[in-house]
Amino acid sequence: MRISFGRLLLPVLCLLILSGLAFGEPAAPIVYSLDSSACYQPPDLPILVAQSSKPSLKEEELALEEQPDTIADPLEPVNRIFFNVNDKLYFWALKPLASGYKAVVPEDLRLGVINFFSNLTTPVRLLNCLLQANFKGAGNETIRLLLNSTLGLAGFLDPAKTELRIEKRDEDFGQTLGFWGIGPAFYIEWPILGASSLRDTFGYAGDLLLNPKTYLIRSVPVGLAIRTYEQVNETSLRIGEYEDFKRDTLDPYIAKREAYHQNRKHKIKNR
Amino acid sequence: MNRTFLIQAMLCLSFTFGMVVPVFAGDPQDQLRETTDKVLSVLSDPDLKSPSKAKERRERIQKIVDERFDWEEMAHRSLARHWTQRTPEEKREFVPLFKALLERVYADKVEGYSWNKILYEGETIDGDYAAIKVKIFTAKDQTLHVEYRTLKKGNHWLVYDFSVEGVGLVNNYRTQFNEIIHKSSYQELVKRLKTKSAQN
Repeated sequence: MRISFGRLLLPVLCLLILSGLAFGEPAAPIVYSLDSSACYQPPDLPILVAQSSKPSLKEEELALEEQPDTIADPLEPVNRIFFNVNDKLYFWALKPLASGYKAVVPEDLRLGVINFFSNLTTPVRLLNCLLQANFKGAGNETIRLLLNSTLGLAGFLDPAKTELRIEKRDEDFGQTLGFWGIGPAFYIEWPILGASSLRDTFGYAGDLLLNPKTYLIRSVPVGLAIRTYEQVNETSLRIGEYEDFKRDTLDPYIAKREAYHQNRKHKIKNR
Repeated sequence: MNRTFLIQAMLCLSFTFGMVVPVFAGDPQDQLRETTDKVLSVLSDPDLKSPSKAKERRERIQKIVDERFDWEEMAHRSLARHWTQRTPEEKREFVPLFKALLERVYADKVEGYSWNKILYEGETIDGDYAAIKVKIFTAKDQTLHVEYRTLKKGNHWLVYDFSVEGVGLVNNYRTQFNEIIHKSSYQELVKRLKTKSAQN
């Protein structure tokens, strides 16, 4: 009985993880912005002085009009196919699941689950801060881990942010590579994983090596189930954003690609 | 004694106001803050919270935003080099279509994220151009970094672009428009814009 149930469960889980991962990497903060607590740096105080060496705002605008800042996309035909696949996965699998889950689980608990998983992946952010010589960020991540794992009830709460205003440093290996001068090369729309670039794909693989979950969870089905649950939970807090995004754009594929590119540049710059 | 003090105080006050007001009225950040405060007051108005008032609320937000956003400048910048190739009639047709789309985008954002608190992080003024950095805290515990770009027209600093977490609105639409014009035509772009505004 158990075995046959398990056999049935596995393909379902696979499907879930497929759909679950589909929007793993937020494409556009216009669209999704749950992990938008990207590194905050106070603005340089002597703004006018600090900017004097950079091109002026006007020059910057004119340059952009001449030559739009865009990402190379040699794989566009394939990418567009996978964009449609991911789109269907969202509407047919992820959204119905997340909607059902949302109806049952209160929002505070769902936010707590996000905090919990985010706390678990602290080593990824901490190490990437160190790899970018961002010692303050690494220190902040350490304090957050210690505080949130204890006073924050195993990470479900975020007292480091709510009480001490120490915000999460949203760093990953793709950003580390970018920080050291490696460009994104070209855009890739992965089925399941969503928007990425050649550089960020290597970054994603690197982060898997740094992620404690990779080592803690040895069983593949359990890992898939957890990852799926995490994604459903996250999506439940964002239902409607992707729909808005599609409504607001004339070519959603191009809009997603460019938003991904700009957002990654922003994250790399705001170390 | 009392009277002289009063007169002195009044003189001081009028002097201060006379000096300060014109300076602050020209401040891009303060002008933006004024608009945002108005939007926030509409959003938090309990009378407008019910679903039946959704349309009225949206119209109010759009009216406030219209005063601060320069839609023609945005449309011009989004079409970039294609703008100059358009006839005056085409431009007159394009701007309202673009405006209708962008008003909705903006309203979706402010309503969807339910802005809780806004922190003004400073402005960079560069001649007639100014960039204003804003940090928005939403009801769901998110933090959004928003940057507004404004251009001075008369005494008003009008928004011609804004970006959320580094994703610039004008740049994003510019790439979409450029692709559509390249792959099909300007007429196709207008057709798609019309379909979008019909969805409203």
